[in-house]
Amino acid sequence: MAPSLPQTLAALGDAVWSADTLGGAPGATLASGYAALDAVLPGAGWPLDALSELLQPPGFHAEWRLLLPALVRLQQASPGALVLVGPPHVPFGPALQAQGLAVQRLLWLQVSEPQARLWATEQALRCAGVLAVLAWLPQVRAEQLRRLQLAAQTHGKPLFALRPAQAQAESSPAVLRLLLAPWPDSPLVQAQAQTQAQAQGADDLCLHVLKRRGPPLLLPLLLPARQGRLSAWLALGAKAVEGDGHALDRLTAAA
Amino acid sequence: MHWIALQPQPEAQPPDGLAGLADVWSALGWWALQFTPRVARLDDAVLLEVSASERLWGGRARLRHLLLESNQAPALIQHAEGATSLIAKARLLPGLSHTPAPELPLTALAAASPHLATLAALGCTRWGQLRALPRAGVARRFGAPLLQALDQACGQGPDRYPWLLLPEVFEASLELAAQVETAPALLFGARRLLEQLQLWLQLRQRAVLALVLCWTMDARRDTATQGELLLRCAEPTLDTVHLQRLLAEHLARITLPAPALSLQLRTVETLPRGGHTASLLPEAQRPGDSLHQLLERLGARLGPAQLLQLQPQADHRPERMQRWQPVSNATVLIANEPNAARAGALNHSQDQALYPSWLLATPQRLAVRQGHPHYPDRLTLLAGPQRLEAGWWDAEPSALRDYYVARSSVSGLLWVYRERLDHPQVEAGLAPRWYLHGVFG
Repeated sequence: MAPSLPQTLAALGDAVWSADTLGGAPGATLASGYAALDAVLPGAGWPLDALSELLQPPGFHAEWRLLLPALVRLQQASPGALVLVGPPHVPFGPALQAQGLAVQRLLWLQVSEPQARLWATEQALRCAGVLAVLAWLPQVRAEQLRRLQLAAQTHGKPLFALRPAQAQAESSPAVLRLLLAPWPDSPLVQAQAQTQAQAQGADDLCLHVLKRRGPPLLLPLLLPARQGRLSAWLALGAKAVEGDGHALDRLTAAA
Repeated sequence: MHWIALQPQPEAQPPDGLAGLADVWSALGWWALQFTPRVARLDDAVLLEVSASERLWGGRARLRHLLLESNQAPALIQHAEGATSLIAKARLLPGLSHTPAPELPLTALAAASPHLATLAALGCTRWGQLRALPRAGVARRFGAPLLQALDQACGQGPDRYPWLLLPEVFEASLELAAQVETAPALLFGARRLLEQLQLWLQLRQRAVLALVLCWTMDARRDTATQGELLLRCAEPTLDTVHLQRLLAEHLARITLPAPALSLQLRTVETLPRGGHTASLLPEAQRPGDSLHQLLERLGARLGPAQLLQLQPQADHRPERMQRWQPVSNATVLIANEPNAARAGALNHSQDQALYPSWLLATPQRLAVRQGHPHYPDRLTLLAGPQRLEAGWWDAEPSALRDYYVARSSVSGLLWVYRERLDHPQVEAGLAPRWYLHGVFG
């Protein structure tokens, strides 16, 4: 009697990937620090030797919030500089340090021309003394990204490319593409996400996984409000703005 | 006495990946100095007197093996040996490598070249035949120099040469084969000079910290005839590839006022080379350039002022809590000090956790409608105020601000402040202004 399909598949082991399961990451990964995000990422974390793309609508920034836990862990694990290529604003050291980042190891490359950004990113990836590269690439073509992806792969460095949300329609060689947005007020999306978690705060982050090694993720992911003193302050501060109190005093009392 | 003569092969192609040396003979001479201190250049050959150092290298055969096989010369060479320098040199000619001295042709003796026709008419073409002639007659007819050269060649006169020395400062020049119109094209010539520099550095056991590339330009144009480029490295290097890339970046920014004719390379500062620290474990050595090399290359193209490093400062105004300044201390960038980082995080006031991760370089004025800030639509103030009053000791207006965390429907959480008005302004009926100062990223 011929063996049944599941038996055959079991015999083949890892050689066959069925399309409804999450692919394993070929390289090393680093846990993102968010359990909900890790659950949907192949290899349960950010790829350590590939290009990941984060798309954000104009004016919206959630990159530090999303990447910081992983970057802090990466910094603690090995020496090296963290390179920022052409960030849109000034990185605020005291705030980043308070969240655990070793800010003295940040290297900010102030470049504005698209070509110079690409060149600087590639040079940084080649350097042994670099830990990870965050590159803001507002204008970039797919073949240029492909070159960066190859550089990241060859030199085994994580590269996070931050691009505008309009780029989601373009094709991209990145192994992971995420679209970040503030949690929408529309009830339709909220109803869809009811199964995952209850949207509550003003600080929730909505995350669409556009591309990953695995089946497409149809529903957006909800990342809850950030923890710690900020959210505590937000909870207290809402009252303070309405009344006229000293929120910080009460925060100290609550902490 | 035992002499070895070396001659670079004339039309030999340089090995792959190398641009070839600017001056093969001096390079070959410098290289030969590691085998014996007595190295001389005679016409187009380099002569080594090795009898005194043979024992050091373990015998003549071992030395020959070292010269020809294990320690490769910087160029492809021909090699011959003999008891005197002139015999060794004469044996460089094709087909003569083992000819006894009396059988060597007179064409191989430089001093005899003016008299070759006369000597041939006498039936005298070999060294032995010339020696058999009466000395007085030869001296009268051909002059003393020929006789002296013959004595020297046969070991009856002294072999004296100005011995070659490895110079203290590297300086080499190169006549360009064609006029070079653009600065980046100078790189090809500079590569040949760099190859030579690398040899010098290896033999001197030094690493270069600063060097100057000069070029001479066509004087017919009414412009400067000299140009120069100072190249300074952050740490002493021996790596020509790195120097080449650095030079390419600098040359790309230079325009030549007139075509360049020749190049010169000179070291300005060199340091004794420290040993290379190798790791016991193969994995510990990560492949790729060092951070110093990266910073130099980026600085050369983007400008050193564009590479920024954070310097914390003690101030209460957010824009003055930190200064991003050009990288001066690259070791801090790599250093992994988990304890220091953790201590730093704890040391800082807990309020810093409330700061946004992005700061706007200059606060952005917000539109105010009906007393509420808008960006682009009405902001919801979530928390605050956090009052700041600082900078009254400075000349510029002091910072009197109330900071709020606000939410915008498109931009997420923002850090905005309202300027507090002083008494005269309130009396004048001014409305408070709102500014956007940070983004919670």
